[in-house]
Amino acid sequence: MIDAERLEILTESAKYDVSCSSSGSKRVNTAGGLGNASVGGICHSFTPDGRCISLLKILMSNDCIYDCEYCPNRRSADVRRATITPREICELVIGFYKRNYIEGLFLSSAVFGTPDKTMELLINTVEMLRREYRFNGYIHLKGIPHADELLIMKAARLADRMSFNIELPSENSLKLLAPQKTKQSLLLPMKSLQNAITYDKLNKVRRRDAAIPAGQTTQMIIGASPETDGQILKLTEALYRNMGLRRVYYSSYIPVVRSNLLPAVGAGLLREHRLYQADWLIRFYGFDVNEIVGEGENLSQEYDPKCAWALRNMHLFPVEINTAPLATLLRVPGIGAKSAYKIIEARKYGKIDFESLAKMRVVLKRAKHFITCKGKFYGCDRLSQVKNCLLLEGKSELTEQLSMFSEKSVAISALTGEV
Amino acid sequence: MIYYFCDGTPESFFTAVFDAYNKECFITSDSEIQLSLGCETVRVLADAEKCRRVLQGLKQYDRNAEEDILTALRNCSAQKEQVCFLYIKCIFERKTSIKNAYSLPAVVDFNDLLYKITGETHRLKGLLRFKETANGTFYAPYSPDNNITDLLMPHFAARFKAEKFVIHDIERGIAGLYNGEYWITAHISKAEICLSENESAFESLWKEYYKSVNVKERPHEKQMKRSMPVRYWKFLPEKI
Repeated sequence: MIDAERLEILTESAKYDVSCSSSGSKRVNTAGGLGNASVGGICHSFTPDGRCISLLKILMSNDCIYDCEYCPNRRSADVRRATITPREICELVIGFYKRNYIEGLFLSSAVFGTPDKTMELLINTVEMLRREYRFNGYIHLKGIPHADELLIMKAARLADRMSFNIELPSENSLKLLAPQKTKQSLLLPMKSLQNAITYDKLNKVRRRDAAIPAGQTTQMIIGASPETDGQILKLTEALYRNMGLRRVYYSSYIPVVRSNLLPAVGAGLLREHRLYQADWLIRFYGFDVNEIVGEGENLSQEYDPKCAWALRNMHLFPVEINTAPLATLLRVPGIGAKSAYKIIEARKYGKIDFESLAKMRVVLKRAKHFITCKGKFYGCDRLSQVKNCLLLEGKSELTEQLSMFSEKSVAISALTGEV
Repeated sequence: MIYYFCDGTPESFFTAVFDAYNKECFITSDSEIQLSLGCETVRVLADAEKCRRVLQGLKQYDRNAEEDILTALRNCSAQKEQVCFLYIKCIFERKTSIKNAYSLPAVVDFNDLLYKITGETHRLKGLLRFKETANGTFYAPYSPDNNITDLLMPHFAARFKAEKFVIHDIERGIAGLYNGEYWITAHISKAEICLSENESAFESLWKEYYKSVNVKERPHEKQMKRSMPVRYWKFLPEKI
């Protein structure tokens, strides 16, 4: 069995992968098998940084042949190196899974030997888990750039989800900071994975044999390179619409590595938080990137992206809660996707008044400036007043956060978990 | 005002609903409740016929109401019977399913009650911890706020199909037992456990993992406690 020291090294190296979600797959258990996947995902524990533990997140090895500037495991770094065998990983996963510590495995690796050899070892591990141990729990497998397409396809039939990390939001930054990875080595396998998913859907392949039922995700580092939020979100939107990705994760840059190509200070967690808010607007609220932020601009620090959009478009408000269509309700600050749905449902039983909105968990402090209830308006009349109210509310959120974070200046929780 | 005291079973609750329907009343199973001055009290005895008539009436307006109410009645709140009673009255008055009428106070209260059960069940699917015993059976002690052991059993029976396991609610003395084929619940107040050789090794690896996966540079303890309330920690090896 694996010893505590190697587990520590390989976990420390894996923890900067943000994704930990275990949702999106409906894999069922087989006769005599162990485990299944829960489509909504299940969190098994939470660490003091507020993130959930759902999967056993581990590297196969941190002994890398690449020399990416931002990475703590790059070839030229002086760190402890460790490797774990497929058998050891299987034993650990099964042992943890039977005790209900985890929902499955998130397996990744540094590139050792060649990309093909690394990918093969990852596949061997997952194959051993699925065949020999009859494991039907959730498996998220990291794709290795430059690995052969056939290997990627084989991996896709075994895993529930795969991810190739874009790492940096533009080709130039990638060239500068991760010269061994190219745009093509990341985008081509993503495209072929998407094609495999489409093929399986069209040909009605049995669920058990289908490629990555939970789709693919990616991750990029924010603030290590000069791209604006506008560029980052434009890329994000393209990934969702053209590549069919389930999630794009952002990881705020933390200076763990010293390099003169990298900024000396971190990007701050507020920027990451705002990007996630904008990401949600694109996926669940029917926004286009162009409405949220211009190509060369950054998101507003003071207001969340939805508030900022609403303040620029005050001529569209206020809207009447009892008649506005779903698409309009979704655009009101303070009304989330769940409460918009509740409002639509509740309207069928009678008119909604201002008091009952609070019971539907609508954030009235924000929403009241943008809605009317049975024709009555409860907010401030003048735009400047509205701005002040929203600003004050946003500040109280920030100061609360500040007192909680002992080290970083401004820090806001990373939103993780949901699909 | 009339207080109807039922014995905690669903049958006696539905009987009370039948008896109390048109009266100004309060239904409860909590015998220590503070009574108001000049009130009348009635002890309800389960009556199969009255119970059947209430359920039949419910079914014609909302097919899922019975199951929802049975789930809500598991709640540990002293108000649960009264909240369910008002919900039932609301269904009969409107003669239709009202589950999504989120602006009616009776529905808001009822959904809150229901959510506490479904929410805790979901949470414990993640937070329950098994220990391997010497004979290979997995044993999970826990003490949930609500009586949800039989709601958890189907999930774990599907997941650990080929294993034998026990989920033990030690406060209520209720255990769910699965033998690799089917599951039952039974009253078990105390269990003596002899752990397997591997148990402590896996437990310390898990603790090591929990420590290493945390990003120290971005502490957010409040968020951790919000998602994983402290009252559940006593059964989590990583938090002991």
